[in-house]
Amino acid sequence: MMTGMWALYAREVKRFQKIFLDTVFSPLVTIGLYLSVFGVVAGDRVIGNLPYLAFVYVGLLSMMLINSSFSNPSFALIIAKNVGSIIDLQLVPIRNWQIGIAYALAALARGIITLSIAVVVTIWFIPLHGIAHPFLLILAIGLTGIEFGMLGVTFGFWAKNFESLTFMTTFVMQPMIFLAGVFYPVATLPHPWGIVSQFNPIHHNINFIRYAVTGYSDGTPWISIIVVGGLTLVIFAVMNFVTRRNLQIS
Amino acid sequence: MYSLEIKNVTKKFVTAKKELLVAVNDVSFAIEQGKIHGLLGPNGAGKSTLIGMISAMQAADKGVIEVEGIDVGARPTDVKKMLGVVPQEIVVEMPFTVEEVLYYYAGMYGVPERERGERIREVLTELDLIGKLKDRARNLSGGMKRRLMIAKAIVHKPKFLILDEPTAGVDVSLRQKIWALVRRLNAEGTTILFTTHYLEEAEQLCESITLIDHGRVIKNGKLKDIQQEFSKNVIHFELFDRAVAHMAGVIEVGSDYEFPMTDLGDDLARLTTYYKGNIKSIRSESASLEQIFLKLTNSPNV
Ligand SMILES: Nc1ncnc2c1ncn2[C@@H]1O[C@H](COP(=O)(O)OP(=O)(O)OP(=O)(O)O)[C@@H](O)[C@H]1O
Ligand SMILES: [Mg+2]
Repeated sequence: MMTGMWALYAREVKRFQKIFLDTVFSPLVTIGLYLSVFGVVAGDRVIGNLPYLAFVYVGLLSMMLINSSFSNPSFALIIAKNVGSIIDLQLVPIRNWQIGIAYALAALARGIITLSIAVVVTIWFIPLHGIAHPFLLILAIGLTGIEFGMLGVTFGFWAKNFESLTFMTTFVMQPMIFLAGVFYPVATLPHPWGIVSQFNPIHHNINFIRYAVTGYSDGTPWISIIVVGGLTLVIFAVMNFVTRRNLQIS
Repeated sequence: MYSLEIKNVTKKFVTAKKELLVAVNDVSFAIEQGKIHGLLGPNGAGKSTLIGMISAMQAADKGVIEVEGIDVGARPTDVKKMLGVVPQEIVVEMPFTVEEVLYYYAGMYGVPERERGERIREVLTELDLIGKLKDRARNLSGGMKRRLMIAKAIVHKPKFLILDEPTAGVDVSLRQKIWALVRRLNAEGTTILFTTHYLEEAEQLCESITLIDHGRVIKNGKLKDIQQEFSKNVIHFELFDRAVAHMAGVIEVGSDYEFPMTDLGDDLARLTTYYKGNIKSIRSESASLEQIFLKLTNSPNV
């Protein structure tokens, strides 16, 4: 019953392993560049009790997780639609929701691998000592990876071509990520942007992860945890709907 | 017991010009378990659309399709488990090797990990592709890709195999190999539905056929019965010397002669005894599938 889903998951993991260097290298370069800039700018600044560099660092890692979980399935599915291999997904006896989850889990796997390598390479330069809430961190990473993995699946099925993918990442995802409090606490934003940011879902993913790592939260941490959990469920439902529409029946 | 039952199935598409196209129009037919059945018809007849609905890729607008007694519309995943499908279009996954393609595909059909290696070796050996095990699928030749598609469809040992033009663009020796494979799978109990534009292929392989045109069934049944229905049931012969007294019942047709037959063997014997060495040529007229096809579809474009 589940063998099929896991085989699809394994295939998608294999797919990004084949381009392993691209997978980790470009986010590493990005994060390295950011850190060198912020390392210079940050100085001794602190946010709450948290050194500013640590604050930004966790934000950047969250951004990386979100980007790679989103782009992995959306790329794979748009390519599959273009070369026609999407027909495999229509033929195999795997339920729609399982197809979506297989891709989302593969996306999470890619996110975690990318994240781990980035951490191993960069953690030495960051004033961070220990993890405040380890179990919450596992939950935060798991939910965020799957949430954006499923969003990537949804978008991959929905989008017609790479142009719409580029549009989505440039004009929707990136602005939302940048306004989500990666680089600053949203509370410090002038009115009304602080409030607007509260409605930016990505803000809550980043805040959740940052709270789990450092214990620092922009606002009440529980709100972020609930928002992330709730959105994951909503996106699951939307993904199933879009998947069914695009793979016809079943 | 039927492996496939199609009852009054209709499928419409809206074309680019916003016109309604009835691709499959009230089609009904059935295939008995363990048979090889040919689905024939000119380009655009609706064969692939029908296959899309049988394999649960597309929903029928009207009608019911049952595979091994299970309603495709109601339980698509259960139906998919029993099917192996070779689609008409060749597609290959970009980054994977032949082995990887089959390994994951078999897995998606529920083949346990430990059995996959052996299954893959079996099908690739049979399809003469074992040497390409580690090659990238996209670097195979067209005919090899076609074989890989067939390997994908049979690696999980389906009960019911559907092949949409499996021998299109395939050389003669490979075509023979594919026929042999189809026959072997059938002998092992697999029910098979296939489409083809090579009528000799249908004559070679299947007992029964369904002929469709413009989305409608125009003929369905045992190939032999259909051929008999269309054959003229006459013996046709030519004579060297035409100025002879004729046997009773012989009709002159142009410069040749015809004799309405009741039993091919007896009648041939009677005619040859009567005319002896005067017979230049003699044959019984049995319609070829090609003639039937052309007659029924009025299409030179098979
Ligand atoms: N998704 C679709 N949208 C619109 N029209 C379609 C679609 N799929 C098929 N058709 C139309 O339905 C008709 C039947 O197509 P189908 O592919 O079933 O024919 P076929 O019998 O398989 O032909 P061929 O022998 O050329 O493969 C054609 O006119 C085709 O253009
Ligand atoms: Mg076709």
